[in-house]
Amino acid sequence: MLIAKHISKKFGAYQALANVSFEINKGDIVGFLGKNGAGKTTLMRILTTFLTASAGTVIIDGENIAKHSLSVRTKIGYLPEKPPLYSDMTVKSYLKFAAQIKGVSAKRESFQVAKVLDDCDLNRVEKQKIATLSKGYQQRVGIAQAIIHEPKLLILDEPTSGLDPIQILQVLALIKNQRDHRTVLLSTHTLNEIEQVAQRVLMMKSGKIVLDEPLDELLRKKQLAQSYPITLEQIFIEYHQETPPRPFVSASVQE
Amino acid sequence: MNKTFAIVKKELHSYFSSPIAYIILIATLSLFNVFFFLIIDQNHEASLRDIFILMEFMFVFLIPLLTMRMFSEEKANGTMEFLLTSPLTLTMIVLGKYFSMLIFFTLLIGMTATYYFILDYFGDPDPISILFGYVGIWLEGAFFIAIGLLVSSCTRNQIIAALVSYALIFSLYFAASFTKYFTGSVESFFMQISTRTHLENFAVGIITPSNITYYLTGIILCLVLTRLSIDNRLWQ
Repeated sequence: MLIAKHISKKFGAYQALANVSFEINKGDIVGFLGKNGAGKTTLMRILTTFLTASAGTVIIDGENIAKHSLSVRTKIGYLPEKPPLYSDMTVKSYLKFAAQIKGVSAKRESFQVAKVLDDCDLNRVEKQKIATLSKGYQQRVGIAQAIIHEPKLLILDEPTSGLDPIQILQVLALIKNQRDHRTVLLSTHTLNEIEQVAQRVLMMKSGKIVLDEPLDELLRKKQLAQSYPITLEQIFIEYHQETPPRPFVSASVQE
Repeated sequence: MNKTFAIVKKELHSYFSSPIAYIILIATLSLFNVFFFLIIDQNHEASLRDIFILMEFMFVFLIPLLTMRMFSEEKANGTMEFLLTSPLTLTMIVLGKYFSMLIFFTLLIGMTATYYFILDYFGDPDPISILFGYVGIWLEGAFFIAIGLLVSSCTRNQIIAALVSYALIFSLYFAASFTKYFTGSVESFFMQISTRTHLENFAVGIITPSNITYYLTGIILCLVLTRLSIDNRLWQ
């Protein structure tokens, strides 16, 4: 579904991505991890054609994104970190607009709007102005616009950031429901969320992929090496520790 | 074309969903009405020539206020990313934005068409020269809008967009005033780039190919530069 080969991106002298390569299979939900500044958003922006790579190629559903960007965009649904919403519009009129610019045919427009309103549980607020919605509802509207044209690949950049626990559960359930219909690339800082929805983990550090494994295999392997159950959080810390952790023992005891 | 039309509809909805559009329409028309009656009362002429000159001066102030948010707001709100990752060409985005403001502007000057009927009721105005005057003021507004759109595409700050648009439009408007300091080709250059030089002909009912070329070239140049400006941002 997605093949990224040797992607590099430079902003002036700053190397944001360095020779990043990975593949995502059709139907996978992939968790995308990394600290702030690791290059996740830059990579997602390249995949969505918002930015161009300084080097490398991306193939989405058999098409090179540099050569067929318009066609590729019809296959991608994207929710940036800040949902791209027009606060003066109602939920329904915004989704209609999203359907129109994403190339949903006039015949299917009403059907698709009704479908995403239903899928994202937005029927109750369809006539409400977006500015008046809670953050959780706004996030759902953001996801609704991303899936309104039935994309094959859904790219979500921190879709649960700033939500309360109930809203997080609702958004995660919504993402889980996408599993049967499309491939999902999900970036988040909350490792627990990846464990709940993803089948595979991609971890970035300083513009490079440092880990790319199926989640259950990763946890099983790590667990075999330890005598106690291990979590994704512990693996993340292990990959991002600059220096080995100091033992929690006072100096006097050591002496 | 459908996608461009979708952007036009969305933009028009956005103008009219806030009171600002209505305030601008009412305030501008009220001022035009006051000056219309003052000018007619003073000149006793069945002509809109001086009204067109006044409209031009007022649009220098008004249009940057209308155009300042067109791209700046999209950038500040993060919705530019939404447009640029949708299957839209940059031309569709630029034209959608431009046509929506042009429709709003056409509505604004269209409302002053009643002046002709008032003149016709009391006098014997020349309909052709008034029509040409409207063509001129419409082309000038279309040019100013294209300038405002270009500036708005270069910044995410609406105030900066308005101030730079003012500076550019003011420079073009007052360029003819600098001719007295120069001679020869420089004088001719300032005369030719000034919007006042070109509107004066329209205002008295004369349309020349050079005047139309001036406005159309300005509009197309600004729209092409707007497209390039967005493209440049996109590929940074």
